[in-house]
Amino acid sequence: MSDDRRLPGVVDRDGERRVRVMAGLELSRGRAALALLGVALLFAVPDLTPLLPGVKLLVVHQGLLFGFAAVGLNLLLRHTRLVSFGHAAFFGAGAYATAVLATHYEVAGLFTLLATALVAAAVVATVVGYLSLRHTGLYFALLTLAFGQLLFAIAQGQQFLGGSDGLSVRPGPGRGGAPTILGQVFAPEVYELLVYYLTVVVVLVGLLVMYRLANSPIGNALDAIGQDRTRAQFIGIPTRRYVWAAFVISGVYGGIAGGLYGVAVKHVRPEATLHFLRSGEILFMAILGGFQTLLGPLIGGVVFFFLKIGGRNFTDYFDALTGVVLLLVVFGFPRGIVGSLGGDRSVRARAAAVRSDPTVVLEWAVAGVGRLGGALRTAARNVRSVFGGT
Amino acid sequence: MLVARNLRKSFGEVQATDDVTVAFGRDPGEMVFVVGPNGAGKTTLVNLLTGRLAPDAGQVLLVDDADVEWDALEGDGSDATRPWDAGAERDITDLTPERRVHAGVVRSFQVVKLFEEMTARENLRTAVLSERGLLSSATGLRDGYPEVEAAVEDLLERFRLGDRADDVAEELPHGDRKLLDVAMSFALDPEYLLLDEPTSGVSTGETELVIETIADVSREEGVTTITIEHDMDIVSGYADRVVALHQGRVHGRGPPEMLETDDELRRLLLGVET
Repeated sequence: MSDDRRLPGVVDRDGERRVRVMAGLELSRGRAALALLGVALLFAVPDLTPLLPGVKLLVVHQGLLFGFAAVGLNLLLRHTRLVSFGHAAFFGAGAYATAVLATHYEVAGLFTLLATALVAAAVVATVVGYLSLRHTGLYFALLTLAFGQLLFAIAQGQQFLGGSDGLSVRPGPGRGGAPTILGQVFAPEVYELLVYYLTVVVVLVGLLVMYRLANSPIGNALDAIGQDRTRAQFIGIPTRRYVWAAFVISGVYGGIAGGLYGVAVKHVRPEATLHFLRSGEILFMAILGGFQTLLGPLIGGVVFFFLKIGGRNFTDYFDALTGVVLLLVVFGFPRGIVGSLGGDRSVRARAAAVRSDPTVVLEWAVAGVGRLGGALRTAARNVRSVFGGT
Repeated sequence: MLVARNLRKSFGEVQATDDVTVAFGRDPGEMVFVVGPNGAGKTTLVNLLTGRLAPDAGQVLLVDDADVEWDALEGDGSDATRPWDAGAERDITDLTPERRVHAGVVRSFQVVKLFEEMTARENLRTAVLSERGLLSSATGLRDGYPEVEAAVEDLLERFRLGDRADDVAEELPHGDRKLLDVAMSFALDPEYLLLDEPTSGVSTGETELVIETIADVSREEGVTTITIEHDMDIVSGYADRVVALHQGRVHGRGPPEMLETDDELRRLLLGVET
């Protein structure tokens, strides 16, 4: 028998040896190897990018950061089933916190900047959450969208925030420097590497925390609220308060990501951080990667950034490309990248189905069009109810 | 005692609950059945008592006083007095549903409400965690409380759901869904359990099982049940007391024999002319 307080290590579960990462997280040996490989790969990215033409470290870095924001968003999406269209607000709040502090208050310490980003996002999420969570479903989505755009408009209009040019995150004389890490000034290449490694560590810790949260009693309560809010209330769950807390945690993930974005990119513009399209992209990353999974949103984030950069080189209609990918995912692989690679092997199953009978694609298309029709009808009904009342 | 005091609720022109005064739980474990034709205001009364709806007027009270002259209170219901010490009364009219649950007032729904993607065990675990105030823990594991797991096993057994414990709720047969719904309510350790047609939609063979299980557990635990029921055989067979509603008003209350002796009531409920 294993003691549940023991440190990470190998444990025996009914004869199967499993690798224990922390309490509540045990992986089969295959999965543990895969996880280790993933972590090693993340740390090796700076060494690999020079070998791949056209791939820049900053692209992977930004993918990870937006993906991390999507991991936060997924707390709402996966558990409470709330679709937020305004998560860029928290990303932007975090990013702008670093920029304002660096530009106007000469704060140079990287960890101070990041801590402020976290607090700023928490404050914004607390207020936006309080006001949006009076509603669910469509109205909630619209309210988050509205608050996001409000912040975007403020950032664009305020000279203090740099208007549409944004602010740089370059404290120090002449504004040529970068934030300092533990009081040390580093050369730009070294700084970039260090911030990237910091991002990797933050992402890994954030994933473990999210895993633990999802498997905690709070995660259970959020699942219950997502599946039947009325029933959750009538088994004694103060649903509003729980969802509010989840909303703030979710926003804090976005804020940390935004803060890291600020210190990594060293310039924060409203278009790049606060625009509602960024909110849409964060949502898209979660769906692309698989919103029923922990890792999906993160992987969705990286894949999305490659799509974005690659798409720009390849076609002017980059947005159409992501649109097509989204359609493919929703109709073909609703579980997303990670979800489809998981237990049920649906990618392989579908590939096998196509091999044995290629006309099955036609059937999927017909079914897809049918579902699309249903979705459009629902959308039309929602729009009617917005303008005409329920 | 759970007391509705001069409760009123209207929906537009319709007076769904019209000055209803009634007390439940004079004896702990008593089974009260609420009967009446469609539109009599039965579900509205349950909704008002449990906080699903807010009344237009009147109060919902919890009264802790055994020596009350209840007939004075329930006389005609039109102008209820307060035949108890002020200190024995707790006004829960403005409490949210979740706070009422923790005050001991729990309900089930006519159309069962379950966490459809969770298994029967997970549904019950959620309720037990909630009852014990453990749901707010972010550091524990949802299945990491041995005493909770034991309570869940006990409920599964008492409600004869043991074989189905790991089936997802939406795949359970209707009778088991009803039982699970009631089991979740019992998991909340209620003092007053309001059941809105627990046997509706249940096949004839399973009806007895559902109601028998409810009766067993509520008597063992001393839980007062307030059940809306259309099947008069069940009411006659299990009721300690019956409250009959008609057009939003209390038509009558008394022992189940009143279903036989009150001709007016028989006409209303069954359409029987005498």
